[in-house]
Amino acid sequence: MYKFLLIGFVLLVQTVKAQRDTTITVTTTDALQFDQKRLVVRQQTRLTLIFQNKDDMAHNLVITRPNSRLRVVEFALALGPKGPAQHHVPVMDEVLAHTRSVEPGTIDSLVVTLTEGAFPFVCTYPGHGSIMYGVIYATNEPKRLPPASQDPNMPNPERLAETGHQHHQPMNSGHPYALQLPAVYRTFMPDCGPAAIAVGLPGPEGGQSYVFDAGQCRLRYAWSGGFVDNTDQWEGKGQRLTKIVGEIYFRDTGGFPWRIGTANEQIPQFKGYRLRNRYPEFQYIVNGVTIHELIRPLPTGRGLVRSFTLSPSKESVSFLAMAQSGIQLKPSVGQFKNGVLRLPAGTRQFTLTMSN
Amino acid sequence: MLATLLLSSFLLVAPVDTISDYYEVETIPTPPGLVAETGGLSFLPDGRLAACFHRGEVMLYNPKTKIWKLFAEGLHDPLGVVALNNRQLLVVQRPELTRLTDSDGDGVADTYETITDQYGMSGNYHEFAFGPVRDAKGNIYISLNTASNGAGIRNELRGQYDALGRQGRMYACVPYRGWVMQLTPDGQLKPFASGFRSPNGIGFDAQGRLFVTDNQGDWLGTSKLYHVEEGKFYGHPASLVWRPGFPDIDPLTLPVKTLDSMRTVESVAFPHESMAHSPTQIVVDNTGGKFGPFTNQLFIGEMDFPHLLRILPDEVDGQMQGACVRFFDNGGNHGVRLRIGNNRLAFAPDGSLYLGQTDHGWLGARGIQRIRYKGNLSGNGAPLDIMSMQLTPTGFTLTFTQPLDEASARAVAAYHFRSYYYEYHQAYGSPQMDVKSVPVTAVSLSGDHKTVSLTLAELTPGRIYELTLGDLKAGQKKLMNHLICYTLNKLKR
Repeated sequence: MYKFLLIGFVLLVQTVKAQRDTTITVTTTDALQFDQKRLVVRQQTRLTLIFQNKDDMAHNLVITRPNSRLRVVEFALALGPKGPAQHHVPVMDEVLAHTRSVEPGTIDSLVVTLTEGAFPFVCTYPGHGSIMYGVIYATNEPKRLPPASQDPNMPNPERLAETGHQHHQPMNSGHPYALQLPAVYRTFMPDCGPAAIAVGLPGPEGGQSYVFDAGQCRLRYAWSGGFVDNTDQWEGKGQRLTKIVGEIYFRDTGGFPWRIGTANEQIPQFKGYRLRNRYPEFQYIVNGVTIHELIRPLPTGRGLVRSFTLSPSKESVSFLAMAQSGIQLKPSVGQFKNGVLRLPAGTRQFTLTMSN
Repeated sequence: MLATLLLSSFLLVAPVDTISDYYEVETIPTPPGLVAETGGLSFLPDGRLAACFHRGEVMLYNPKTKIWKLFAEGLHDPLGVVALNNRQLLVVQRPELTRLTDSDGDGVADTYETITDQYGMSGNYHEFAFGPVRDAKGNIYISLNTASNGAGIRNELRGQYDALGRQGRMYACVPYRGWVMQLTPDGQLKPFASGFRSPNGIGFDAQGRLFVTDNQGDWLGTSKLYHVEEGKFYGHPASLVWRPGFPDIDPLTLPVKTLDSMRTVESVAFPHESMAHSPTQIVVDNTGGKFGPFTNQLFIGEMDFPHLLRILPDEVDGQMQGACVRFFDNGGNHGVRLRIGNNRLAFAPDGSLYLGQTDHGWLGARGIQRIRYKGNLSGNGAPLDIMSMQLTPTGFTLTFTQPLDEASARAVAAYHFRSYYYEYHQAYGSPQMDVKSVPVTAVSLSGDHKTVSLTLAELTPGRIYELTLGDLKAGQKKLMNHLICYTLNKLKR
């Protein structure tokens, strides 16, 4: 009984007010876009819109009358030198509400009451208005809205595909050629220093892959079952990491593996790589010794064969590798003792076979 | 009949005279599947164009056959290329400066040689590396962007970390962020000059002086062109933490006055409202007239506006300053339009200017276009435009490409000056400060009608003198650009 009374009371209040209060926060992404491009509220909503600028440039957020975005954008552009003083917002009836200029890392809000219809919201900073926008639907029938992918009031992700001939034959690789293994990508990789080199090797079931850290001159980890997905890394400004496709089976948990002589500091210098049948052969120098390293997949099974070539050294040369469960290490010369492979004097070439 | 006669005579007497009557734009087709976010352009000695793109491709384009070929792949956001010879390119990518060599002559690079990687990386996306450019002595220069607090840093860094450089909107927590670096012929990478925020343009003028553009933002009231010399500091404080001998303090704790006294000011400011939001590469017109009347002048790209910038230098008592003017504003209005996002520029052997466009998550466009001068071919002669703007003790002299009609040129009302400055402060950008209208008190025209001398009611250093020209004419020719912004650093005695 009490429950029924309460519901009745709520209904009464809503009928009397016939207006709803809603607060929504919109932020920016790093590609001149609002994070939400379609907001749906009920008719007669008093909307508090909080605009949080996470981008590294200033923006504003302007709500316009239906079908008025382009006109408002045009008038904003025409403000010219006067624009900044009025937050790039033209004084015109089509502007229903707007924030001030919102500097990077700051917040502003606006309040607007939306009757019914499709109300564009847009950043009217010069140049931004043609791509940085979205729509607020004030409707009691949200099910009748078009699917987001077909919504003409939302920015078209293909907006920049303006020269038609460029996009007739999109390659799955994201390049103007099919990706051919072995392949090299210098990119931001997880669990590695920022100067990372991802290498995909041919093989069954998507092949095998590894990451070489050019900052530290060492193999960081290896995986099988695929190579990489650069979608996030390529989009926008390049902050997001390339993703691994497949399963990591090996991680080098040590540091730089080489010890030349007894010097305490063993800082290697990366010198680049040479492609040999598309396999990169890395070159780095440590304490006067030039080391070449070429990594191939195991002919059968999961693992890598690391081939090293060293310039002559009068000092002792050792290679360090921590024992890891599930990983067998087999050098072509000498053997590991307590994680140290001391190369016989005069060794100029050897391989290290790593299998899982 | 009369109407036809009037109409035809009107067409004959007053043809529309726009920049598109002198220059035309052509869009260069790029290969299917290429996302042409262009990071670098350079012509090989054999006339092919080398271009590098955001997703790591380096491609060669033969303008004669219009065929693209892949030269190298897998680079990390390459943002500059310079051809060393027909088989070697120098490319700057995020982690290093790389020499790409096709050593076996099969047309594809097989050697990716690290020329230098002696600078830090925090993993922040804004740590772009720009360049490279070479001077006459064989030194190579690159410029290193600061990081943005729009994002953080990685757990693993390359190089030393300094928390004192981690403060502020754009920061320099690893070595030489915000610096121009010099690689000497013996392979040493030296920190050359500091105080940069986002130095996406680097190049030389016709005299071989090094110039760098920087982008409006914190500590930059507006975008700028700096004349860069060794050891100098150009105003964005974050990079100071990597200056040898700089005390162990957060540079942002220094009073603005102190920083202001330490810095070297820009040669030319680009007013944000009219000239540039994001200036890009600097190239000198070395075409000997093939690109029009602006031989030896600097052209600079711009990301947000569909125009380029042209520099009118002036040296006053050893102080580099001067003016900027738009180039190809509203160009291509009866043909292919110039797109925005003009990130990279390179003059082709035939004297046309290739433009590499990008958006890179910001405003811009993608692809490659070129602008070709057709003025001489069409028999039109050169467009009517300003060639130089020079300070005098009492005002300015303006020199034009063509003799001006006397009546329009002598009218005081044809010259309207505003003057203002942009604040040097930590905040992002600056409004135009202390805007004043500056009366022109006298106008005189040279005997050849090409040079106008203006006397101004006042001249104050440290301000921009923004000149709006009236409808100056030279016979049938109309003035191409009416807005010129002169950065007055030093008065002329």
